Amino acid sequence: MSTALANASWQACLSALRLDRWLAGELPPAEAEEVRAHVASCTSCSGASASMREAREAEPLPPSRLDAPPRPARRPRLALGGAGLAVAAGLLFLLLPDGTGERTKGTGVGIGMWVRHGEEVRRAAPGETVALGDAIRFVVTTPRRAWVAILSLDPAGRGSVYFPGGERAAEVDAGVDVPLPVATRLDETPGEERILGLFCDRPVVLEPLRSKLERDGALRPTGGCEVIEWRFEKR
Amino acid sequence: MILDRAGVERLYRDHGHLVLRRARLLLGSEPDAQEALQEVFASLLRSPGEIRSSVVAWLYRATTHLCLNVLRDRRTGARILERHAAAGAEARDARSDAIAEVRALLGRLPEEVGAAAVYHHLDGMTYDEVALLLGCSRRKVGYLLERAQSLAAEGGRAERSA
Repeated sequence: MSTALANASWQACLSALRLDRWLAGELPPAEAEEVRAHVASCTSCSGASASMREAREAEPLPPSRLDAPPRPARRPRLALGGAGLAVAAGLLFLLLPDGTGERTKGTGVGIGMWVRHGEEVRRAAPGETVALGDAIRFVVTTPRRAWVAILSLDPAGRGSVYFPGGERAAEVDAGVDVPLPVATRLDETPGEERILGLFCDRPVVLEPLRSKLERDGALRPTGGCEVIEWRFEKR
Repeated sequence: MILDRAGVERLYRDHGHLVLRRARLLLGSEPDAQEALQEVFASLLRSPGEIRSSVVAWLYRATTHLCLNVLRDRRTGARILERHAAAGAEARDARSDAIAEVRALLGRLPEEVGAAAVYHHLDGMTYDEVALLLGCSRRKVGYLLERAQSLAAEGGRAERSA
């Protein structure tokens, strides 16, 4: 085993998941009793569960920000992304959109991209060159409610999910240029970045699609999903 | 389970600590862990029908997915790793150094391989538990963990020869 993985390993015999499920009261009675009896007789598991419990009791959680980033407005004249959603790169920027999505197909779905370069914010056209380090944000157009995800294949052939943060595509109401509530800053790898907008009729799991994109270099529309492709050049 | 805003708020109060604890472990950065905490629950609000059985298992999956994405983002990942390297020796110990090394490794691994490594090594899950969270067979879990080991070994060799 790699030394780092070995040295970083969980130290108790029961997994963190099982202890958390036990503490949350999620286990069936017989299994909960089994865990309780084990924890009572095992130093490492009692230590691990005690520290989980203490962390819960000793440290108050910050207020949730569920109210801060509401579902995106349909057509904002001036919208500020919710800071709570800026996970990937921590930068959100002002959008001044008032235009149509460039990448719209016959079914009416489409994606668009806004770029912030220094103090300048502009709508990017497909294939446009974008500077390394610029911040980008996507908008989507869909004539009906859809489960949406934005995936990318970077110049090194690595697939990732720009949006959403969860493991499944996120629901977006019908609308034109609906801003997705996450912005990110481009990394420093020059070359062509391919963006794939996924519009599905259900909340599809994204990891198999990301893996497929990374493996095959493409995503084909399947099983209730439409795929819209967008490219830009990082330089 | 279909959750409304009050339901998600209740889950935040009941289970937010476990998300924060795991995000701190995976990211090693308090501000990023706090953002991850908010984003995991915000994503639940956006897709309220996602939880089908165990809330805790869903939160493990969502937190892991989100944190791996953060680590895989080159810019954010580099900032997180630099922060650990810049911490004084008094603030570090053998396990925290090892975990920082694992973070660097996770930023390079394909996501499913990284998730399997997190669940098995950092969370101590059995193959059955990992298989349940990933929605795959035990055999595939074995394959993913072997991949993690071999990629970790390749990375180590590359660093030593650099």
